[in-house]
Amino acid sequence: MGAKKEKRVVLETRHVKKQFPKVLANDDINMVLYEGEILSLLGENGAGKSTLMNVLYGLYKPTSGEILLEGEQVEFSSPKDAIRQGLGMVHQHFMLVDNLTVTENIILGSEPGKYDFIDYKTARKEVVSISEKYHLHVDPDEVIENLSVGVQQRVEILKALYRKARILILDEPTAVLTPQEVDELFEVVGRLREDGVSIIIITHKLEEVKAISDRVYILKRGKIVGERETSQVTKEDLANLMVGREVVLTVHKDEKEVSGEPILQLEDVVVKNQKGINALDGISLDVRPGEIVGIAGVDGNGQSELEEALVGLLKLESGRILYKGEDIAVLDTKQRRGKGVASVPADRQKFGLVLPMKVSENMVLGFHDEKPFVKGINLALDTIKTHSERLVEEYDIRTPGVEVPAGNLSGGNQQKVILARELSSDPDFLLVAQPTRGLDVGAIEYIHSQILKMREKNVGILLISLELEEIFSLSDRILVLYEGKIVKEFLPENTSDKEVGFYMTGGKKTAEDRA
Amino acid sequence: MQITKLKPLFYTVIVLLALVGSLMYFASIFSGILLILAAAVLYFVYYGLSVGKGASKALALSFLKSLLIPVIGVASALLIGGIIMAVTGYDPVTAYKALFYGGLVKNWSVSVLNAAPLIFTGLSIAFAFKAGLFNIGAEGQYYVGAVVATFLGLHFNMPALLSIPIIFLVAGLLAASYNFIPALLKVKTGAHEVITTMMFAQIARYLSSIFIRGMGGSSDGPHPYVTDPILKSNWLLKMKSIFPHANYRVHIGILIAIGMALFVQYILTRTKFGFEIRAVGQNKDAARGQGIKVGRNIFIALLFAGFLAGFSGVNQVLGLDHKLYENLNAGYGWDGISVALLASNNPIGVIFTSLLWGVLAAGGQYMSRTVQTPNSIVEIIKGIILFLIVAKYIYIHIGHKFKNKKKEEREAVK
Ligand SMILES: Nc1ncnc2c1ncn2[C@@H]1O[C@H](COP(=O)(O)OP(=O)(O)OP(=O)(O)O)[C@@H](O)[C@H]1O
Ligand SMILES: [Mg+2]
Repeated sequence: MGAKKEKRVVLETRHVKKQFPKVLANDDINMVLYEGEILSLLGENGAGKSTLMNVLYGLYKPTSGEILLEGEQVEFSSPKDAIRQGLGMVHQHFMLVDNLTVTENIILGSEPGKYDFIDYKTARKEVVSISEKYHLHVDPDEVIENLSVGVQQRVEILKALYRKARILILDEPTAVLTPQEVDELFEVVGRLREDGVSIIIITHKLEEVKAISDRVYILKRGKIVGERETSQVTKEDLANLMVGREVVLTVHKDEKEVSGEPILQLEDVVVKNQKGINALDGISLDVRPGEIVGIAGVDGNGQSELEEALVGLLKLESGRILYKGEDIAVLDTKQRRGKGVASVPADRQKFGLVLPMKVSENMVLGFHDEKPFVKGINLALDTIKTHSERLVEEYDIRTPGVEVPAGNLSGGNQQKVILARELSSDPDFLLVAQPTRGLDVGAIEYIHSQILKMREKNVGILLISLELEEIFSLSDRILVLYEGKIVKEFLPENTSDKEVGFYMTGGKKTAEDRA
Repeated sequence: MQITKLKPLFYTVIVLLALVGSLMYFASIFSGILLILAAAVLYFVYYGLSVGKGASKALALSFLKSLLIPVIGVASALLIGGIIMAVTGYDPVTAYKALFYGGLVKNWSVSVLNAAPLIFTGLSIAFAFKAGLFNIGAEGQYYVGAVVATFLGLHFNMPALLSIPIIFLVAGLLAASYNFIPALLKVKTGAHEVITTMMFAQIARYLSSIFIRGMGGSSDGPHPYVTDPILKSNWLLKMKSIFPHANYRVHIGILIAIGMALFVQYILTRTKFGFEIRAVGQNKDAARGQGIKVGRNIFIALLFAGFLAGFSGVNQVLGLDHKLYENLNAGYGWDGISVALLASNNPIGVIFTSLLWGVLAAGGQYMSRTVQTPNSIVEIIKGIILFLIVAKYIYIHIGHKFKNKKKEEREAVK
């Protein structure tokens, strides 16, 4: 990487400030991005990372401060301006049009061709050539909705490259990827760097910061509180810098004898997905009180269907779901909740929250018609408010108050709202899917310890996670889900992540099978 | 601590002042505004005392802020309307003088009469929007309400205090049930309510003719067919019987409408039903995932919207016309869409946008009669207001540009 001094600054911010009505999200940010470097942004949930990136990308206007591109002051009034000047951004929630093809999505907004005719052929050729150059394998004619998240992300990156992005911003790109997809992404990112593209990447995973980036800025409450060469710091240093205290990266789990009747049993459960294929293909499993059962698996092997079937959003083709010995497959969501089944959905924005509603309202969503929160037909607004304020305090949710819309919160803080609601509902059985997706290390530590506390209280817990590390550090038993079937059961102490990973991909050779 | 004990007292005084004040104001006794202002001031004072220093200021500020966009919208629409008039050879100043003198002072009573039915239909559409539904057929539910009110009004011989609430209730319920089939289709098959309620609106309009002809009357007069007048005991109370100087046509329907707006606001913000409606309207998946019954809420919301629109018809028959005309295109259902949009579906906002629409209509008539400026200019202004406000982002965009420009100027000065 040569001597740093020779490097050219491509992007710089000076005293950038972004004030939201009640939150100072960015405060006097001075950062530089060198040509051909990979820069990480690290910071707690709500530190202001996404906001800063959106400011750079022209989505938000800074309240004050300057942005310099190649030494020239620029003011983007929209992402269109930013794109024209060579910026590209992949948002955490993708912005693709579901029913268009890959090529159509990529050229959308900058269609080649004269007058009103889109020169689709040329476009397709170019897409193919870029994707070959960077090994971003994707079928240019496939429709977006048929692609997995990982491939959709490739399309987003291709889209930026097609517009000749020289600076690429990736906001939590790895949160939705499988470990293998992460490796692939990092290879692509490395290749881009060799071509002189400068990259800013946001991630909460410290090992990723170490693995991929040259330099890292640490943000805290809107301010840059540190800058490090990544080769000079350890994961623990980074965690301390970010949270301001020692962080336990892997929580301690007490040994515990679980015995007794299972609280939840699935018996030969078959569920069809929208395409009519058996997404769950005869699953049987059981969870006992005080036990955490981890479901390991590659995304798309039936996790979301398992979740929806348990909550009551999907009908069973056949089989039974026994809860405390009673078949709850015939009950609706409300009734199941009433019996003490709680769930943290994997897709927080779709199933977990109503973003335009207040934080306090989201804190009681689903419980709004139950005792302390309702008086007759009226909501007990005062009780709801104090209850929410208590949870905000307890779960360290960064928000200017409980009356703001949940959509104003940062991604990680939205997740904490759901966790606070479900964990505080005093359940007997808890389904948690991707509980710590998008959370910072401090928050993960807290959530993991809360989940273990539930285990102490003899709650039966089913944990669905794509993160093997999470599965290993929490589970008492590990089940591997593959193509809608439980293909293997392990005790964590008797296996390795390698072995589990082997079964997650169907027991085939893992490295080569890239479709 | 002390002050919160006085809460009931404060609230009673505030409500009384506001009630009497608006009663007077709507009866064209303009000094009523003083009482309304007194109520507002008292509320701010109480709010400041009970919540803490600065709170009342913040409340006032947020109130003024919420007025900003509508006021700018109306002002620029008037400006554009003025330019159009100037270009086409009318004097905008005299025209606007006539428009506002007519709408706000001279024919204020007509404005009030125009506003009341709009509030009901506006509430109907706003409420449905909150549940994510577009009750475009409010016009049809209006007809159902009007027909039922006429029928009952003709035959219901009872003391007014008994008969009028019953008529409102029965007509409202029947108007609600007129949305039964669209609601059922929506929930069971997903058929879009825009199509179904619209078709039902057409059916109601033509069906009403049959009922009207079945309710006596004759085809004399300016309209093709009119029912017999309803019994006098079923008329809504006239303002004149409270304030002798009030216009003889104005009735207390406007107060019922405002009461209804407060009720709808209450339902939406403070009850579990309203909570569910909002959750369903804003994110069906999350609502379902958290155990809220989406179908049931959509069903009830559409029926309640019909109920509200039905009141509009009852209000016109019992309050103003006292009979029903055939082939009359009331249009309150359509205008209700405008006032709801304009108020961004806020029930309290609907009161004000309906009054604005009422003033523009009454003032427009006055203007065309006195200074011979065509009434259509009012329609143009309404269209522009709607366009400007519905396309709020235009403002945001302009604001953006404006700020940039300011900054450039400042920089240039440096
Ligand atoms: N549109 C908005 N309106 C008001 N406040 C906002 C808005 N967007 C973000 N904020 C606030 O700004 C702060 C920073 O949010 P931001 O999304 O940048 O955090 P982040 O660092 O990306 O966090 P995370 O890791 O959880 O994604 C938060 O306190 C958030 O509540
Ligand atoms: Mg973020």
